Amino acid sequence: MALFTRTTKDLILKIDEFFDNIDLGLLVFREGIKTYLAGDKESFDRHVQKVELLENNADRLQRSIENEMVTHSILPRHRGEVSSMIDLLDEIIDTIKSSITEFSIESPDIPASLHDRCISIMEASVSAGEELIPAARAYFKAPHTVREKLLKVYYFESETDTLIKDTIKFIFHDMNELDLAKKAHLRYIIHHIGNISDNAQKAADMLSTMAIKIMM
Amino acid sequence: MIILFLSSGLLLGWSLGANDAANVFGSAVGSKMVSFRQAAIISSIFVIIGSVVQGTGASDTLGRLGAVNAIGGSFTVALAAAIVVFMMTKFALPVSTTQAIVGAIIGWNLFTGNPTDATTLTNILSTWVSGPVLGAVFAVILYILLKTVKRKSAIHLVRFESYIRTGLIIVGAFGAYSLGANNIANVMGVFVPAFNLHPLDLKLLTLSSQQQLFLLGSLAIAAGIITYSRRVMEQVGNNIMELSSESALVVVLSQALVLFIFSSSGLSAFLRNAGLPAIPMVPVSSTQVMIGSIIGIGLYSGARNINFRILGEIAAGWILTPLIAGILTFFSLFFVKNIFGIHVGSKTGGAVPVELPATSPDPRVSEIMQYLILCLIFVGLITALIYYLLDRKKRIELKKSEEKFWKNMK
Repeated sequence: MALFTRTTKDLILKIDEFFDNIDLGLLVFREGIKTYLAGDKESFDRHVQKVELLENNADRLQRSIENEMVTHSILPRHRGEVSSMIDLLDEIIDTIKSSITEFSIESPDIPASLHDRCISIMEASVSAGEELIPAARAYFKAPHTVREKLLKVYYFESETDTLIKDTIKFIFHDMNELDLAKKAHLRYIIHHIGNISDNAQKAADMLSTMAIKIMM
Repeated sequence: MIILFLSSGLLLGWSLGANDAANVFGSAVGSKMVSFRQAAIISSIFVIIGSVVQGTGASDTLGRLGAVNAIGGSFTVALAAAIVVFMMTKFALPVSTTQAIVGAIIGWNLFTGNPTDATTLTNILSTWVSGPVLGAVFAVILYILLKTVKRKSAIHLVRFESYIRTGLIIVGAFGAYSLGANNIANVMGVFVPAFNLHPLDLKLLTLSSQQQLFLLGSLAIAAGIITYSRRVMEQVGNNIMELSSESALVVVLSQALVLFIFSSSGLSAFLRNAGLPAIPMVPVSSTQVMIGSIIGIGLYSGARNINFRILGEIAAGWILTPLIAGILTFFSLFFVKNIFGIHVGSKTGGAVPVELPATSPDPRVSEIMQYLILCLIFVGLITALIYYLLDRKKRIELKKSEEKFWKNMK
C-alpha cells in the first residue's frame, strides 16, 4: 500500500510538472518573440535554449506519465483520454519549439510596422494556451469548473484567427514594398504562431468532453 | 465414505466460488480498478475467515427449511444444486447459489414427504426481494455521499482513484468475509447434522466440528474463485451497466453491508434487545443484492446506460434456478434411493430439525483437516511471495526500459 501511495504522489507531481513545463514554455516563447522583435539576439538565443529544454522535459514527463498509468493500472477508465490530452498539450510545446526554432534559423525580416500586429497575434495565441492549463489542471481536481475555464481558450483562439486574417490581408494588400517571397514567408511564420491557439482549441474540445464524462 | 459424500458439497462450494465471488469483486475487476489476481487472493482469504468465524447463523435457517436427515440425501441435494450452479456459471450467468440450494431442499422435502416450513420459506423468499431493494437503497445513499465528498474535497483525480482502489480492496475483503459468513450455509449447511469431528486445537483458536466443515467448504469456495471466477467477474463488471470506479466501490460496499446484516447474529440480537424486529439470519443471494445495487445507481443516474436485456436473462435465471434445482433433486433422489439403494432421508412429520444420532468423531478425518490447514497457510504464503516477486519484477523492467529509452535518446 505504501508503494502505491508513493506511485500516486509521483504521478501527481509528474502531471503537475508537465503542466508547469507547458506553462513555462508559453511564457518563454512570449518573451523570446519579444526579444527577437527588439533585436536582442543574445537574449533570444537563451530563450530558444530554454524552450528546447522545456520541450525535452515535457517529452520525458509525457512518456513517464503514460508508462506509470499503464504499469500501475492507474485511472483505468480515463487513461486513454488522459494520455490523448497530454499528447495534445505536448503538441502545444512542440509547436512553440518549432516556431521559435524557425525564428532562430530562418531569421524572418519583420518590418517594424508589423511588430505590434505580430505581438498581438503572439499574445492572443499564447493566451489561448495559457488559459488551457488551468482548465487541464481543473480536470483532475474540480471537473465541474473545466467548461467555464475553457471559454477563454475559445475566445483567444477566435481572436488569434481574426488578428491573423487582418495581418495577412495587411501584408498582401498594404505592404507593396515587400516582394512576394517575403510576404509568403511572413504569412508562414504568422500561421505558425497561430498554430499554438489551434492546438489549444483541439485540447479544449477534448477536455470539455472528458469533463462531462467524468462528472456522469 | 463420508468424505466421498462430502464431495458434492465441495463441488457446490467450488461452484459458489466460481460464480458468487464475482459479485464481490466483479465490479472492481470489471472496472479494471483491481486486477483479477489481487481479487482472487483477497476474496479467497476472507471467504475462509468469514465462513469459519461467522458462518453458523445462516445455516440454522436452511436447517429449518428442511432438515436433510441422511447423508445420502445431503449428498444428492448438494450435488443437484452444484450441477445447476455449474451449468449456469458455464453460460456466464450470475446465478444464485442460495436459490439453487433452497430449490434443492424443497425438492428433498417433496421427495421424502416432509412439509416445507412456510415461515422459513417466506423469510427466505422475502430476502430475495428485500435483499436487492436494500442493496439499491444503500447503493444510492453511498453513491450520493461519495459524489458529494469528491466534489467538496477537490481531491486530485489520481489520488481519489488510489483511495477508491484501496477502498475496493478493503471493502472487497469485507464483502468476501460477509459472503463466506452468509453463504457457507448453502455449501455445508446440509451436512452439519451428519458430521462429527474432533475439535481441532490450533493453539491460537480451536475449531469445532462445524467450523472444520465450514473451513473445508470455504477451501472449495477459494478453489472455485481462483480457478473459474474470472469470466463471470468480467461479465458482472461490464455487462449490466458500465461502472465508474466510485460506482464499483459503492456496489461492493452496499452488497457487503446487506450480506453482513443478514448474517450478523450480534446485530440481530441488538435490534431485538432494542425492541425492534430482529433481522432473520438467512443466506441471501449476493447476486441479487449486487444487481439491486447496480440498478439503484443506474436509476439514480438516469437509467440511460442499464443493459435491460442482460437483466432479463439474469431474472429468468432466478426463476429457473430453484425450479431446475428442485426437479433435478427430486429425480436424483429417486435414482440414488432406488438404483444405488442409498438411504436419502425419511419423513419426520414436522419442520423441526431432527438431530441425527451422534456419530463418534473420526480421527482420520480430523487428521486430514489438520493437514489441509497447514497446506492452506503454506499455499497462502507462497502465493503472497510470488505476487510480491512478480510485482517487483514488473517495476524493475519498467525502470530499465525507461532508462534505456532515455539513454538511446541521448
